[in-house]
Amino acid sequence: MFKKEIVRGAISISAGVVIWEILARLLLENELLIPPPSSVLRSFWTLAVSGKLNKHFEATLTEFAYGFSTACILGIIIGYFMGMVRWFDEIMDPWIATLYSIPVIAIVPLIIIWFGIGLLSKIIVVFKITVVAIILNTAAGIKNLDPVWLELAQSLRLTGWQTTYKIRFPGALPYIITGMRLGVGRALLAVVVAELMASNAGLGYLLRDASETWDSPKLFVTVILLAVIGLVSFNLIKRLERRMAPWRQSAEWSSEA
Amino acid sequence: MVVGGVDGQMDVLTRNLSSTVLRVGSVLTGLALWHFIATTVINDTTFLVSPIVVVATAYEMLFVNGELYPHLFASSWIFFYGFLLAIVAGVPLGFVMALNPVVRDYINPWMTTLYTTPRIAFAPVLLLWFGVSGGAKVSIVFLGCVFPILINSYYGMRVVNWEYVELARSFRLNSRALFFKILLPASVPFVLAGVRLAIGRGLTGVAIAEWFGATEGLGYLIFFAGQTLNIPILFVGVTVFAALGIFGFEVVRRVEAYATPWKKDARGI
Repeated sequence: MFKKEIVRGAISISAGVVIWEILARLLLENELLIPPPSSVLRSFWTLAVSGKLNKHFEATLTEFAYGFSTACILGIIIGYFMGMVRWFDEIMDPWIATLYSIPVIAIVPLIIIWFGIGLLSKIIVVFKITVVAIILNTAAGIKNLDPVWLELAQSLRLTGWQTTYKIRFPGALPYIITGMRLGVGRALLAVVVAELMASNAGLGYLLRDASETWDSPKLFVTVILLAVIGLVSFNLIKRLERRMAPWRQSAEWSSEA
Repeated sequence: MVVGGVDGQMDVLTRNLSSTVLRVGSVLTGLALWHFIATTVINDTTFLVSPIVVVATAYEMLFVNGELYPHLFASSWIFFYGFLLAIVAGVPLGFVMALNPVVRDYINPWMTTLYTTPRIAFAPVLLLWFGVSGGAKVSIVFLGCVFPILINSYYGMRVVNWEYVELARSFRLNSRALFFKILLPASVPFVLAGVRLAIGRGLTGVAIAEWFGATEGLGYLIFFAGQTLNIPILFVGVTVFAALGIFGFEVVRRVEAYATPWKKDARGI
């Protein structure tokens, strides 16, 4: 048997879709405002068969993958040094804080002017968003390490490298993953914004195309697709978090920004 | 932490001093480098301008021709309404979900979906429904703010220390008193943390909302400047956004310190 909450969730979702279909069919003659789920599905099929969907999906995914992986590598390194070396922390902190407090959307026009409308500007956008979250969290993880562990490392006469590899890094890992989780959501938003603003491919482009041609079913296809991507990536990271740091309560939604 | 006598105090003093020197030095060096790159290396005002030009432009827009104010007010109103609505709707709904598992199970899938979707995706849909009016903008800000508030209210009420509840039971509090005397105060810090997170998301929401068919507002200012390659104004807009974020964050932190005095370290990560 399924769990009660899953059954209720499924009932809630399917009831919502049925009501949506009925309302859209009965009340609104006009498909422009709220297209019924059936025509959204049809539009999805057309897009998928023509290969357009694939192309845009791939573009967004590529941008995301490049930006995110670079940000992970650099962010962990910089964050590590910020956690370890005090003067480096002091020097970096004002800049990181400034970067952190600038809304993503506000900086996108600037990045497009600097790096063009192609792939590179979106990679930079994703990078900028993710790297700040990862740096801050890695530094916090290194700083908040339980001193008992470090004492243990000392009594075991671990070398510097061993301490880093066996004590500091695993100790900071839950923080790092939290940083990644924060980064994913924001980066997804940012990449779509950048694509909406200026691009020739990607889901953001599709969104803009649909809204400018008043193609509501296509618009809804894109929105639902983005919802699915958000949901999947969120759950993947949450699962990763649970596996890597099972001692930490993963119900910690509160730090999601 | 115990500070050991005079020596210890001196230690702390030099520590703080060197920290300030490093920070100020870092900012000044960065600005000087920026100025140098802008004027000597790049020397193209459609690409990058010196921080001095940015400050001059900001001064002009603030004190000479006052161009900034209409945009600032327009954005503030949208933010204010969306934010207020998010608190009014988010906090009670979060509490109800925490206290009633059936409601939670029915609402949860919708909430998670809406929450994890990049908000920008809703912007065209909301515009389709509301037109280029205040309604669309306010609802975009609302969508951004409501989830951190709702989720934190829910979570705050769920993790109330069980001993408090047992204490209330032994005093035979009725459920109303239990709610107002125990559950509500215990979840206040969480609600406020949600409100704090909502500020940043709300500001992003303002920028998104104003980008789609607005004629005034900070978001409009930034996008217009971007499109006309007016880098000084672009930088001023970005700076004002950052300043607003920091200001709002600080306000909520003060409220937090005042409303939850038992929680010493209200900063968090």
